[in-house]
Amino acid sequence: MKSLAVLAALVAATTAQAAQDTAGLVRFVACPVYRDTDAGRKSGCWLTDDRATGKRWDVTESPYKPDWNFAVLVEGKPSAHAAQPCGAPALDPVRTSRLDIPCTRHMIPAEGFPGRRYTLPRRNIGPLSVARAVPPGPYAERTFPVYFEFDKDFLVYQYDDWLIDNAVTWIRAARPRKLVVTGYAATQAQMVSGVKLAERPDAARERAETIAETMRRLVPDIPVETKWKTAAKPTDEPEADGLPWQSQRRAEIRAVF
Amino acid sequence: MGKRPMHSLPQRSFALPLAVAVLALSVGARGGDVPDRWWAPGEGRVLPAILDYDNENGTLRTLTVGGPLNTAGHPFFEPLVKDGRACVTCHQPADAMSLSAASARRQWDRTGGKDPLFAAYDGSNCPTLPQDQRASHSLLLDRGLIRIQRPWPTKSFNGKPVKPDFTIEVVRDPNGCNSGPNYGPKAGKISVYRRPRPVANMKYLLAVGFPFDPKQGYALPLDPDDGKPQSGNLMADNRAGNLRLQMEDAATTHLQMLKALSEDERKQLQDFELRVFTAMQMTKAGGAVDSGGAKAGPARLRDSEPGALGSIGEPVWSEFKGWENIPAEDAAKLTPQQLAFRQSVARGARVFREKMFLISDTAGINSRIGFGNPVRNSCVFCHNMSQMGNDVAPGQVDLGTTTLPFADPWDDLPLFKVTCTGRPHPHYGKVIYTYDPGFALTSGKCADVGKITLQSMRGLSARAPYFSNGLARDLRGVVDYYERRYSIGYTEQEKQDLVNLMSAL
Repeated sequence: MKSLAVLAALVAATTAQAAQDTAGLVRFVACPVYRDTDAGRKSGCWLTDDRATGKRWDVTESPYKPDWNFAVLVEGKPSAHAAQPCGAPALDPVRTSRLDIPCTRHMIPAEGFPGRRYTLPRRNIGPLSVARAVPPGPYAERTFPVYFEFDKDFLVYQYDDWLIDNAVTWIRAARPRKLVVTGYAATQAQMVSGVKLAERPDAARERAETIAETMRRLVPDIPVETKWKTAAKPTDEPEADGLPWQSQRRAEIRAVF
Repeated sequence: MGKRPMHSLPQRSFALPLAVAVLALSVGARGGDVPDRWWAPGEGRVLPAILDYDNENGTLRTLTVGGPLNTAGHPFFEPLVKDGRACVTCHQPADAMSLSAASARRQWDRTGGKDPLFAAYDGSNCPTLPQDQRASHSLLLDRGLIRIQRPWPTKSFNGKPVKPDFTIEVVRDPNGCNSGPNYGPKAGKISVYRRPRPVANMKYLLAVGFPFDPKQGYALPLDPDDGKPQSGNLMADNRAGNLRLQMEDAATTHLQMLKALSEDERKQLQDFELRVFTAMQMTKAGGAVDSGGAKAGPARLRDSEPGALGSIGEPVWSEFKGWENIPAEDAAKLTPQQLAFRQSVARGARVFREKMFLISDTAGINSRIGFGNPVRNSCVFCHNMSQMGNDVAPGQVDLGTTTLPFADPWDDLPLFKVTCTGRPHPHYGKVIYTYDPGFALTSGKCADVGKITLQSMRGLSARAPYFSNGLARDLRGVVDYYERRYSIGYTEQEKQDLVNLMSAL
């Protein structure tokens, strides 16, 4: 019994460490540069320069892409692939979050770089006309995370909709007694590229309410409660793609029986 | 326009006896041998199962599934109020179940402005103006605009109050309907001016493709009547999410009904609206749109499943694929003009799908949904539903047609100053000048200022002008606006191909 407890403690410690391990990751604030490549729809490239290292990164694979009028918070991992279709090494996985810091819009030509031909991302949902596979039971209490841009509560297309669609498919099969949606915000300030960044405490509530409203629409016959917490800690949930900062900016849908 | 009689015989032989019978039923409805193309309320005509009307680009066909329909006593066609207005007043079969500015002018001239279309409450620029003067109805006569009065502060879709995150002031009120003791924000009313939307092809507008509204960042709202997700594509500002709410809104505003529609009236209206399909059947220059390998026209609309996304199914406007490479033996049977037109329409369909351009600073596309600003795509990015070209998702997008600096200058429209009290608008900033806040008058969100639900693209030839405020007088004007707005770089040939395509839808 004692050895089991030691093992559990060891696993917990390892997990917590992994969740907060930022080695090999990059995080910076930059004004985005749009490279006007043309390989068909949605094929333009997004580039950002890390002022601290002088490196330019391709952040095009972010599920939420930049706005050329505003700075972005970039968080990512250098891609395992060496290809540079946008003219810079890529971050993948990567997240970009639009900040309310104005930028001079800047577009550069393709300069011979092909960009990427658009392909549907892994996280995309089928039309309603396509029946979802019913997840097998037995069903027990389970928590589904949903992730957000920095300081926002907006559902990220082809990311959050996929996460929620999967959760709802399970919830419809499992029929829990209620759902408890907890919003989290990373309110502890950090300096990134000389910019002090902290999510608003209200972001936690907004995330909870946004997801709760969506759940009320998708499973209207199951009661939904909301909670919110600040000073969010990272988690090891796989759909945060190993980016601890992304895992902090979340809401959790807990199915209670 | 209008030289062809209403009951000109359809192309299919089985319809001949029906058309003759209907003609007999309708003779003398307005004292002549051939009923007028204008359907006046209360005439008691029979609406045939197949009904053709000519316009400058060809022939529009309207199909009534299960028709013919005797309109006598039908709430869509009968005046429900004393002034003689009915739904059909602004939703004319010859105008693709909408209303062209040309028809409004024709009706003014025919009736000396006495037609109930020109009712003071919404068929004039403002009820406070002298109603016997043409100038008091200029917005309707020149641009086909009906006055829409929205409550202030806003009420959300389905009528729920919502606290707006913006204030609104009136910068300019050329018509008097946004100021004074009875009108304007201070009086709890905001008047905007919009084109009537077609009451046809409804199954497409009601179709739901996916469970989310990616532009708003929520799952789709639920229909208060049946609990199912709502498409969000019915009205310009998405203020009514289902047909019941839409018709109740129309009855109280455009008909000024003091009592509610009865349940029987609602059922009749809904049943009718779901049975009507309209589209161009014949083009003057290229012949029938369901011939020579093309598969367009209203019957295709009637028979197809709605709500399919063109990018993963049948590409948008691929109905004209058969006109891309017309075999020599078929081409020999066509006049050079017919052949050229068909090829142009087919090219136009490809341009519509494949001509990429940078879309920028357009809420609903570049924000808040994360496609990026700018994003490279084509017309089908938004006009993505097979057969119909509306948006499979709720289609609230700000093209700039109603909002400065993108909108064309109009000195006859009210101009509002919107000030965001929370987060600034993602593209316009904290202060916005607009002729019509659009969806923001429903959602109460500053980020939605200027968003207008995508227009239907069927029967366009029958119902100029275009865009919600009629800024494009003709189809070329539509293309020109997009060129101005997004610097697309269309060639002259591509512009003409797009015009020809749209004229054939």
